[in-house]
Amino acid sequence: MNKRIAIFAMALAVSVSSAGAQSKAWDILREIVLVPGVSGHEGPAADYIQKMLPAGLKVERDAMHNVWFTIGSGRPHILFVAHSDELGWTVDKVTPEGRVRVEQGGGILPQTVEARPVLVYTAKGVVPGIVAPRPGYDARPAQGETPEALFTAESFDIYLGVGTEAEARALGVAEGDSVTAKKIVTDFAPGLMATRAVDDRAGCAALLDAALRLKPGAVKGKTVTFAWDVQEETGLFGAAELAKTLKPDYVFAIDTFVSTDSPLESKRLAFLPVGKGAVLRAVDSSNVTPKTEIRRVLAIAEKHKIPVQVGNSRGGNDGSVFLTGGAVDIPLSWPGSYAHSLIEKIDRRDLEALTDLILAIVTEWK
Amino acid sequence: MAHRVARTLGTIMAVACVAAAAAGAADLRTVTKELFAVPSTTGNEHEMAAKIRGFLPKSLGIEEDGLGTVAVRLGGPAGPVLVLAALDGYGHMVSGITPDGYLTVDRPVAPPHARFDAYLLGQPVVISTAKGPVRGVVSQPALHLLTQERRKTLVDGFSLETAFIDIGVRSDKEARAKGVELIDPVTYPAVLTELAGDQWAGPSLGLKAVAAVLVDIAAGSGSGAAGGETVVAWAAQTKFAARGRGARPALGAARAKARWQPQRAVIIDLVAAGKSDGPVAGGGPVLIQAKDEPSPLRQGFMRLAADLKIPVQSLTAPDSPLALPFAAAPSEVLTVALPVRFLNTPSEIVDLKDLQALRDLLAAFLTKGAGR
Repeated sequence: MNKRIAIFAMALAVSVSSAGAQSKAWDILREIVLVPGVSGHEGPAADYIQKMLPAGLKVERDAMHNVWFTIGSGRPHILFVAHSDELGWTVDKVTPEGRVRVEQGGGILPQTVEARPVLVYTAKGVVPGIVAPRPGYDARPAQGETPEALFTAESFDIYLGVGTEAEARALGVAEGDSVTAKKIVTDFAPGLMATRAVDDRAGCAALLDAALRLKPGAVKGKTVTFAWDVQEETGLFGAAELAKTLKPDYVFAIDTFVSTDSPLESKRLAFLPVGKGAVLRAVDSSNVTPKTEIRRVLAIAEKHKIPVQVGNSRGGNDGSVFLTGGAVDIPLSWPGSYAHSLIEKIDRRDLEALTDLILAIVTEWK
Repeated sequence: MAHRVARTLGTIMAVACVAAAAAGAADLRTVTKELFAVPSTTGNEHEMAAKIRGFLPKSLGIEEDGLGTVAVRLGGPAGPVLVLAALDGYGHMVSGITPDGYLTVDRPVAPPHARFDAYLLGQPVVISTAKGPVRGVVSQPALHLLTQERRKTLVDGFSLETAFIDIGVRSDKEARAKGVELIDPVTYPAVLTELAGDQWAGPSLGLKAVAAVLVDIAAGSGSGAAGGETVVAWAAQTKFAARGRGARPALGAARAKARWQPQRAVIIDLVAAGKSDGPVAGGGPVLIQAKDEPSPLRQGFMRLAADLKIPVQSLTAPDSPLALPFAAAPSEVLTVALPVRFLNTPSEIVDLKDLQALRDLLAAFLTKGAGR
């Protein structure tokens, strides 16, 4: 049986038959993290999400590939939202030598992709390439030489194995195609891994898992929307589109908590250890959560014996888009080391705690 | 007359052996992929040596030295000659374990270029321990939290001083329980990328591809007769320089010279491809000598290449540390190099047409001889 179908079937059976359903968030994450979906190219990720959702839900999808469903009725209206896009690049041009240049940006330290494999998603399929090392990479620097220019996305010169533009185009490569780093999953131990795009596929997986484990009776006297939105990394554009029609009272944005649980960073802020539970992002670059709401979430977590950490860090979240419409933004997370890298680290216990917290909030929030 | 007949018979036997073994043995691509999966850095060549031994027929007496060099003696008209390639590549090693379980990093040998260490930042790595491979990542700061000043020190100024490997533990005790010990090798995961145009890319791919060529040839040859044999060797610790006055030859090559005392040596090496006026990838193996003068070995290889229509390139360049021990007269040395794009980066690119051409050229050398 197809693994995806197996996960879905198991999850569906459990959601129907029992309350304490087993979380499948980790298995879902390990699949969805490998599905391509650079900002503006989220189609495959949206397809995956739609396929995984239980039958019987009225799932909606817009032209941007935002996916969502709403259950229940009445107030409050609570929205959970995770973003399905990932960091990456788009093809800017194909050179006469058959090399690929990308548009600037990308959100990943460019030097970590230098001399590394990338994948170009073309109409004809996936085309692998190598980001060429900077010219003269192996030359001995002369004394007193001016420091070399920074290696940026504009420096990318992606070698596909061909020597002409015509050959590159014959592979299917065209301007506007998306490009990701080739993802390598590092399994430190069972339930602890690092790879690219944990931000925010872990949020997507947590929401999917919650949707699969949702008990029909949990949503009473309120409206609950689960949404997987797009283009968060490039400016919260998917959330902005959703905010035109969805008017929630509370938004729980599910996204990475940028943790300083690493040997390189100051522990002055954001030091929430990996493996110690889900996270409530009390303050980030886009939102300050009212203390009254923090206490409500912590009380629910305590009641359900769910480990939750509270911290402040940097980065924005999709929930902030709904603030001006009157919503309260309460971002939920997991502690993520090495955010926006090829090695984003996550612990299964944190992800499952996050899923449990989402389900507890669905049940308890008033 | 008798000598000529013996040579002819020897050639026929060698050709027959190559053909028979080639038909039954794993093909060059398979051997390359299998060697690619095995880490091999200076001082930690044992896994690769074992893998190579496993490919060689039991009938070949395998010689080893105390540092891990593997060699076999083959028959055929090419000998006496030493055909030598490196067994070790560049890499890193564990230099310490912090109280909170992070691993610090050093190198067993000087890096091939100044940017070599910088490729570690934010990458997955594998630590080869006595208990098996341990997966880790080289820490990098989260972009969101970096001030411009911190970016300059932590990212732009990245060096081994700020390289910490996270293996998902919280203490040195946990790290040791996983099997991690000092000087365990640290390498990149063996992830192969197959590009268009029958080209492969991956870390240390050139080294493994060249080693595979010699495996393919040795596995297809008969054992040698005393006095006229070809010694095929995969030398350990070639990235380490032998100490002493003057030029600094590769230690593994210097030991090979002392052990086999060859009058002729063919060094199978790597050469950077795609640089201005240099060899090109896809152009065939590169014949390298220090002086642009005719030599019997070089002319012999050129003739073989012409006869078999194998493309080759020529380059005049100073003797590499691998060739250096064999360069003094009356010895003769020729380097036959595989052109590698992005040499000594985590994505070395090998054109499989070059690899096959190198294999065919060397096989022809062993079966037909050259430069005598």
